[in-house]
Amino acid sequence: MFQATLGSQDVAQSAVNIPEIDWQAISPVVVVFVAACLSVLVEAFLPRERRWSVQVTLSLLTVVVAGLALGLYVNSDAVVGTGGITVAGQAVPLFSADYPALFLWGTLLALSFGALLLIADRSVDGGAFASPVPPAPGGDPVQYQAPGRQTEVFPLALFALGGMMVFLAANDLLTMFVALEVLSLPLYLMCGLARRRRLISQESAVKYFLLGAFSSAFFLYGLALLYGYAGSVRLVDIAAATAGTDRPETLLYAGFGLLVVGLLFKASIGPFHAWTPDVYQGAPTPVTAFMAACTKVAAFGAILRVLTLAFEASSWEWRGVLWAVAIVSMLIGAVLGLTQTDMKRMIAYSSIAHAGFLLVGAIAMTEDGLSGTMFYLLAYGFTTLAAFGIITLVRDGNGEATHLSQWAGLAKRSPLVAVTFAFLLLALAGIPMTSGFMGKLAVFSAAIADGMAPLVVVALLASAIAAFFYLRVIVLMYFSEPAQDGPTVSVPGAFTTAAITLGVVVTLLLGVLPAFALDWASVGGFVS
Amino acid sequence: MLESYLPLVLLFVLATGFAVFSVSVAPLVGPRRYNRAKLDAYECGIEPSPVPVAGGGRIPVKFYLTGMLFILFDVEVVFMYPYAVAAGGLGVFGLVAVGVFLLAVTIAFVYEWRLGGLDWD
Amino acid sequence: MTPTYYLLLSALLFTIGAVGVLVRRNAIVVFMCVELMLNAVNLSLVTFARINGELDGQIMAFFVMVVAAAEVVVGLAIIMSIFKTRRSASVDDANLLKY
Repeated sequence: MFQATLGSQDVAQSAVNIPEIDWQAISPVVVVFVAACLSVLVEAFLPRERRWSVQVTLSLLTVVVAGLALGLYVNSDAVVGTGGITVAGQAVPLFSADYPALFLWGTLLALSFGALLLIADRSVDGGAFASPVPPAPGGDPVQYQAPGRQTEVFPLALFALGGMMVFLAANDLLTMFVALEVLSLPLYLMCGLARRRRLISQESAVKYFLLGAFSSAFFLYGLALLYGYAGSVRLVDIAAATAGTDRPETLLYAGFGLLVVGLLFKASIGPFHAWTPDVYQGAPTPVTAFMAACTKVAAFGAILRVLTLAFEASSWEWRGVLWAVAIVSMLIGAVLGLTQTDMKRMIAYSSIAHAGFLLVGAIAMTEDGLSGTMFYLLAYGFTTLAAFGIITLVRDGNGEATHLSQWAGLAKRSPLVAVTFAFLLLALAGIPMTSGFMGKLAVFSAAIADGMAPLVVVALLASAIAAFFYLRVIVLMYFSEPAQDGPTVSVPGAFTTAAITLGVVVTLLLGVLPAFALDWASVGGFVS
Repeated sequence: MLESYLPLVLLFVLATGFAVFSVSVAPLVGPRRYNRAKLDAYECGIEPSPVPVAGGGRIPVKFYLTGMLFILFDVEVVFMYPYAVAAGGLGVFGLVAVGVFLLAVTIAFVYEWRLGGLDWD
Repeated sequence: MTPTYYLLLSALLFTIGAVGVLVRRNAIVVFMCVELMLNAVNLSLVTFARINGELDGQIMAFFVMVVAAAEVVVGLAIIMSIFKTRRSASVDDANLLKY
C-alpha cells in the first residue's frame, strides 16, 4: 500500500528550512544574472542606434565585475571553499561555491570575456550577427544576407554564461537540469543569428535544438530514475543510497546511464558528438568560439561533480563503460578529423578528440585527475577561442573562407596570421612549450597514477593521429602556392585583436609557466 | 466485488454494439447525395482557408507568436500554486523569493511588450 | 494497482518518444516526440513521489513543465524562422551541412 500522501495542511504548517545563503560566495553568479536582466531591459528601452555600444559595455563590464567579485571572495577573510546555498543542518551546500566551482567560474568568466570580444567586433564586414528577417522571394537563400545588425546576442550570451556557472556548481540534479536548459536555450538561438549564410546558420540551430532537447530528455529521465532509486536528487543522497544494498540496482544503472548520456552530449563526447561538426560549422564563428570554449568547461565541470560526488562508490560499475566512451571519442575525433575539408569542421572534430582526452582525466577520480582536467579545460578553452578568432579573419567575397584549400599559401599573404594560427594548432596538437602539452601531461599522468595505462596508450595514439591533421594545415599554409582568387586576410579590429592576443598569451604562458594555474586548480576538491 | 462492475461492462458492450451497428448499416441503407460543402475540409462552418503547407500557402505567424507567448507566461505562473500552498511556512524568505521570480517574469513581459509582441497588427 | 504499472507506462511513452525522434522527418513532429519524452518523465516523477510518500517529485514535475514550455517556445521560434526561409520543416531538406 502507499503511504499516506501529505495533505496541503501539513505542508503549510510544517516548518520549512530556510536555506542559508552565502551571498559573497555566489556573488559572481548573481552579478551575471542581474546584468542579463538589465541587458534585456536595455534591449527593450534604448533606441536602436545606441543599443550596440551600451550592450557591449554592459556585457564586458559584467564579466569584469563578476571576475572581481570572484577575486575578492577568494582573497577575503571568509572561509573559502565551503560557501554557497546551504540548507540548515546539512553539511553539503545545495549550490556549492567550492574550489573546483570557483576555479571553473574564473575560467568561464575569462573565456567568455574573450568570446564576447569576438562577438562584439564589427570592424570586419560589419559584424557577424543579423536581425532575423527572411530573404526576399526568389533570392538565393544559401548566400542570403539579412540587412541590419542586432544586439540580442548579448543578453543571450549573458544568460548562457549564468546558466553555465550554475550548471557546474549545482549539487542537486534538478538545479542542474534547469541550469542546463538556461545555458542551452540561448545557445540554440545564438547559433541561428548569422548575418551571412543564414540558411546554414538556421539549419545548425534546428539541428542543435532538436538533438539538444533530445539529450536533455535523457538527462531528465535519468534524474527521475535516480530519484526513484535514492528518494532524492541531491548528489550526496544518491551517493549515500549507493552505499546501501537493499535498493533496486536496475534503477541506479539505468538512471546513471541516461543521466550521463545527457552530460556527454553537452560535452560533445564520443558517440554523442553527431551535432558538433554541423553546429560548429553553421553557427556564427564568434558563437562557435563561445560554445567550444565555455560549454565544454561547464559540461565537464558538471561531469566531474556528478561522478565524484554521487557515483564514486559505484565507480567500479561504470568505469569500463566510460573507458570505452573515451576511446571512441578520441578515435572518432582524430580519424574523422583527418577527412575534413572545412576548417571549422576540422576544429570541431579536434574538440571531440579533446573531449575524449578530458574524459580520461575526469574518470581518474583522484585529486590529480580533477586538477589536471580543470587545467586542461582552461588551456584548451583559450587555445580554441583564439583559433576561432583567427578563422573570422580569413575571408573572401562570401564571408569567411573556411574551406581548407582556401588557406593554401596563407603564410605568403599574411605571415603574422599564419604563424599565430600555426602556434595555436601546435598547442591543440600538444607540442611542448604550449599549454596543450602541459594539459595532456597533467591529465595523462593522473590517469596512469590511477592505473589506466592502457587508456593513456590509446590517448597517445589518438594524439599522434590528430597531430597529423593539424600539421597538414600548417604545411598547407606554408608550403603551398596561394590560389589566384584566394581569400584576403582582414585587418582585425581592436576587439578581435584583443581576444586573439588573450588566447595566444594564455596558451604560451600556461605552456611555459603552468605551475601557478596548476596550483590554483589543485587547491581543493569538492565539498562532500 | 466484481459484480458491481457488471452495469459498466454492459454499457461498454451496448456502446460498442451501437457504434458498430450504425457505422456499418448507415452506408448500406442511407441515401448518397454529395455536394461541394460535404467534400470540403471541416473548418467550423467557415470557408476553408488555403492550407498552409510547404511551397506557397501563407503561415499565420501571428497565431504562432501569440500562442507561444501565451504558453510561456501561462506556464510560468504554475510556480504560484506550490508557493500558495506552502506560503505560511516559507515566511518572508518565500515572499522575497517569489517577488524576485515575478520581477524576472515581468522583465521578460516588458521586453515582449516593448518589441511589439502584443500588437496584433 | 501497483505503481509499477505507471513506471512501465512512463518507460513505454519515453521509448515511443525516443523512437519518434529517430524515425520521423518533420521537425515539428520530432519536436512533439521530445515533448512526449519530457511528459513521460513527469509521469515517472509523480509516481516515484507517490511511492516515496512525499511531494518532492511533484514539485520537480512543475519545473519540468515550465522548462518544457520554454523549450517549446524557443524550438518553435527556431523552426518557424527556418520555415520562413526555406518553406519546409522536413529534417531531410536541411542538408547543407555535410562534409
